[in-house]
Amino acid sequence: MNNEVLTGSITYAVKAKEILNRNGFKAYMGRKKDKNKSGCGYFVSFDGDAEKAKKILEENNVKFSEIH
Amino acid sequence: MINAVGYALKNMCANPGRAGHSLSQFCSVNLYRAREEINSFFNGSGAETVIFCKNCTEALNTVIKGVTGKYDEIIISDLEHNAVLRPVVKTGLFYKTFSVSPESDEETVENFKNALTDKTKLAVVTAASNVTGRILPVEKIGKICKEKGILFCVDAAQGGGVIPIDIKKMNIDFLCIAGHKGLYAPMGTGVLIANKEIKNTLTEGGNGMDSLKETQEPVFPEGFESGTVSLPNIMGLKAGTEFVRKKNRESIYKNELNLIQHIYGGLKENKNIILYTPFPEMHKYAPVLSFNVKGTHSEETAEYLSANGIAVRGGFHCSKLAHEKLGTEETGTVRISPAYFNTLFEAKYFLRVISKF
Repeated sequence: MNNEVLTGSITYAVKAKEILNRNGFKAYMGRKKDKNKSGCGYFVSFDGDAEKAKKILEENNVKFSEIH
Repeated sequence: MINAVGYALKNMCANPGRAGHSLSQFCSVNLYRAREEINSFFNGSGAETVIFCKNCTEALNTVIKGVTGKYDEIIISDLEHNAVLRPVVKTGLFYKTFSVSPESDEETVENFKNALTDKTKLAVVTAASNVTGRILPVEKIGKICKEKGILFCVDAAQGGGVIPIDIKKMNIDFLCIAGHKGLYAPMGTGVLIANKEIKNTLTEGGNGMDSLKETQEPVFPEGFESGTVSLPNIMGLKAGTEFVRKKNRESIYKNELNLIQHIYGGLKENKNIILYTPFPEMHKYAPVLSFNVKGTHSEETAEYLSANGIAVRGGFHCSKLAHEKLGTEETGTVRISPAYFNTLFEAKYFLRVISKF
């Protein structure tokens, strides 16, 4: 999958995945594997328009550290 | 509820929000479903505002100690449980109590208004007294708090799942709930629904987030869920809440209050009985009733009832303030609090037994 949302919170990861799925994105979540400085966290991978996804997540109060 | 707990014990054996394997993710999704259910039941603003605690007391401590600062004042009602009074006293901050009228909501609201000062930061009120059953005018108090910029915390230990509680409509900033009472969940389940920032965490530790940092961010919900959550119990809480929703909360409330009204009527005719409240009217009282047998300590009466197969609580119900208000510091009171599964037959049996004491 092309895009990722990163968040430290499992709650927001589940929420992001479900909202993206509800809005027609194919998304799945897992644990972050990047060498970040803060430690544990989650990614939600999805295909499609990242800008559109970002807008939807923000409208639904999903907090995330990064989307790319 | 029992089946839900059993299912979780067998099938949800991984820590939610810790590992990435499929069982842990399954548990995480189910934990999220529980947040959604509780949020929806109380009309909160999102699943992420639902924080699972070990009980209502922990939820109240989290709010009272987490939102106040050095020069703040706190206002509480004179019917509050020790789960409110003690943490308030522990903060060392100035606090005031306002008097709850047994009959008039307008009087209660006036008393609340008169107790406010410019320094009032936080108001903590019970949704319904755990001693007298009196329901407080939460919506009216919430409106005042919103207008004056005061944080509003509701202790719904006795009222949650029984009387109407709507976070948005009542302008509640923090709702603290006990699972094991009106939501028919296992003991050791509590919830804090937080709509405003809490500056300080009550406990710190592992929460599955930012593990390489020395400090813990006060973010909802995991920032306030240090350590492993009790997933089987939370699944029980979800099932209990669904049970109340399915049976209809208002209908359960009416049935329980009918039992209390029947018992009140019977006790009123008994000249040997002391009652402490007016007739428990619908929407003014939760299904909780305190009484005493004249010249008898409440524990003695409770012991007699226990010997006859009736489980009631004597003593002081962890509520110093309420018993001071009632003037029952010496004897305590006997408290009856029926649930969905109690019947009119049992209420009549209780009246027969107490009449022979």
